[in-house]
Amino acid sequence: MFTDISFELAPGDVLAVTGWNGSGKSTLMRIIAGLARPSSGSVSMFHRDELVPPESRRRFIGMVAPALSLYDELTALENMVFFCKVRGVQSRVEACRDMLQMVGLSEDAHKLTGRYSSGMKQRLKLAQALIHRPPLLLLDEPGTNLDSKGMEIVQDIITGQRRWGMTIVASNEKREVDYADRAINLSE
Amino acid sequence: MAIWIRDLRSEFRTRYAVNAIIMFAVTTLVAVSFSIGSFRIAEAEKPFLYAALLWIILVFSALSGLSRSFVKEQEAGTIDTLKLSARPQAVFLGKLFFNLTLLTALEVIIVPVFVLLMGYSIAHPFPFVGNVVIAGLGLGAGTTIVAAMIAQASTRGALFSALSFPLLLPLMITAIKGCEHASMGPDPIGWAEVRMAFSYLLIMVIVSLFLFPLIWEE
Repeated sequence: MFTDISFELAPGDVLAVTGWNGSGKSTLMRIIAGLARPSSGSVSMFHRDELVPPESRRRFIGMVAPALSLYDELTALENMVFFCKVRGVQSRVEACRDMLQMVGLSEDAHKLTGRYSSGMKQRLKLAQALIHRPPLLLLDEPGTNLDSKGMEIVQDIITGQRRWGMTIVASNEKREVDYADRAINLSE
Repeated sequence: MAIWIRDLRSEFRTRYAVNAIIMFAVTTLVAVSFSIGSFRIAEAEKPFLYAALLWIILVFSALSGLSRSFVKEQEAGTIDTLKLSARPQAVFLGKLFFNLTLLTALEVIIVPVFVLLMGYSIAHPFPFVGNVVIAGLGLGAGTTIVAAMIAQASTRGALFSALSFPLLLPLMITAIKGCEHASMGPDPIGWAEVRMAFSYLLIMVIVSLFLFPLIWEE
């Protein structure tokens, strides 16, 4: 799909990954997250100058992607509390409420996610990805189904992430690519 | 724990697996009780035949629904979100406890109804209950690891039965023997089969805890 991809990121960096449909943007994101294996090559992650083993990488990554779904039969708050628990985040309910407020879903916190619009689901996915303050945030098409307010939330999230971590945005939308300091094009 | 509770909550709201398991169990139970009943079998053959029928109903009811704990995650697209969030061992234990809860509910409903409908006389109730409970837990452990293996395959239904059957056969034979001995009076009792079923359960859980991370990360 793609070869000779090599890049390094440091805290505060925002990288955009662009390319035509099928060029491998989502596959690259899945490889970085550890959800897929590269046919050759490797991904190394360092935390405080120590190599993070692949099986522990999930603790340091938050990811939003069209293929990653949340539980439709749970409410937004239940979804958030569940992911807090499995990620071992302390002060769960308060942290979850704050996060839902940040993405503009606090009034719909007790609504079943299955009844959410696609834009609301995307906002909830953003909140879920941020709940453990990941040092690396992977955003695959983060603006999918979002309105202008939702896009502002994405921008705020990326700006906030600069303070404690790195962000990789896979998209072809100019507005999303513009958030990044640099870009790599997988079609070239 | 969190995964177990989430699965129970989801199941309570959707009845995704419960309907399949209970419907299969009730249908086969009614079919067996009406077609065979208690009067067509010679007294000497009853302990073995009833034990075999009971475990055929329990095992195939379990096979009809227990794969869904993982299959549902795959179909709903939540499996990758879960992979990114939870430790593999926590996922396996959560799904195992969920399947065990379903199996316990199934046994609580089906076993007493089977005993009543078939006129199943049990000489030694404690070894009988021990066999049903421990072999039921073994059944849950065996089907949970197979469910994890087949979740990402395209022909899940056929594969689940095909892979589960050889894995569950030793347990099924032990459970049938145990229930047969427990229902025979006055001599055979059935504790030996309870111990065998417990060993199966222990081996299955330990092996699964080692195997599951490899299956999950694949």
